[in-house]
Amino acid sequence: MKLTVKLSTTLRDCVPGYEPEAGLQVDMPEGGTVAQLAQHLGLPLQDIKIVMVNGRQHKVDDLLRDGDRVAYFPAVGGG
Amino acid sequence: MAMTTSKNPHAFFRPYIRAVYPAAADGHAASSAPEAGRDAVFVSLAGLRAWAEETGISLRAAMIDLLAENIWPERFRRNFGLFSAAEMARLLQSRALVLGCGGLGGHVTELLARSGVGRIRLVDNDVFDESNLNRQRFCSERALGRPKAQTTREALADIAAHVEAEALPVAADEHNLAELVAGMDLALDCLDSITAKTALEQAALAAGVPFVHGSVLRDEGFCYANSGPAARLKELYPSGVDRQEEAMGRREGISALAPASVACLMVRLGLNILLGRSPDSPLLHLDLSVPELERFSWSDKA
Repeated sequence: MKLTVKLSTTLRDCVPGYEPEAGLQVDMPEGGTVAQLAQHLGLPLQDIKIVMVNGRQHKVDDLLRDGDRVAYFPAVGGG
Repeated sequence: MAMTTSKNPHAFFRPYIRAVYPAAADGHAASSAPEAGRDAVFVSLAGLRAWAEETGISLRAAMIDLLAENIWPERFRRNFGLFSAAEMARLLQSRALVLGCGGLGGHVTELLARSGVGRIRLVDNDVFDESNLNRQRFCSERALGRPKAQTTREALADIAAHVEAEALPVAADEHNLAELVAGMDLALDCLDSITAKTALEQAALAAGVPFVHGSVLRDEGFCYANSGPAARLKELYPSGVDRQEEAMGRREGISALAPASVACLMVRLGLNILLGRSPDSPLLHLDLSVPELERFSWSDKA
């Protein structure tokens, strides 16, 4: 399945050359989860606090589908 | 209208008129609004001060009374067309709590006051530090080491003397949040920890006070408006953020742009609440590195 992945702030440090506007195009076997995709990209799971799939919040063990747009966020707590 | 003098304001303000915008002839303003069908008259600050002194009321109260006559402070002339006279009066009567007077709080306070919000409670127990100079509106070299809430209140007095502002140099925590939100029409979350933000949202909603969240990191930020009943930060961060993670977060970069722009969005959401236009919003994610603005839906909303 083909996925579009967007990374926020500090999570971008894990993927050298990450381009914020385009995000990442990732090819992954069917049946993968939000957490497996993060591992595949080398994102530390403990730093991922919010996951949005197609504009809605999801849990790390939720299954992904072909064409999903996944966004990973760390804690965004600055004022 | 509670005019406390028999004086005719239109006659009184003749020497103080800066501009007159004729009433819309096409029936555009032919609503039930009190200003409908009347010319909008814009008068100087000197005139307003003289009127307030003559009638023995505060500058802010004078502005509110006069707006019912479609007499506007010249300072709000460029708000004309964005807000009606009745809405301007409503903003001047509103009370906003700004919790945190750093990156978000400084800009939020300025934008609230310039928009017309008349009563602002500022809360921060910190002092300005050199590392704040890249992004905090009222941090200047002269202000280093000075308390943030008090400095922000002084800046506010310089920008908008009619604003009734309070500066409370206290740390907001679960013990005093209920007291801090009491009597407010709006609570704006400009704090710098998820734990404190979550506690503020819960305290505000428990008191029936609408809540506007803002948060920033690097070149990005989140914000939303929430009039309850569901507390959204608890939903966004179900396992919370521990002390060590909060400390790590405070070492991360925050650009000059992120707090200024997220503050604009927060004040927009806050004004929408105060004016009864919209009590809630989706979660907005602003990424200034592109730049782009994305909306995320809440789990219980379409």
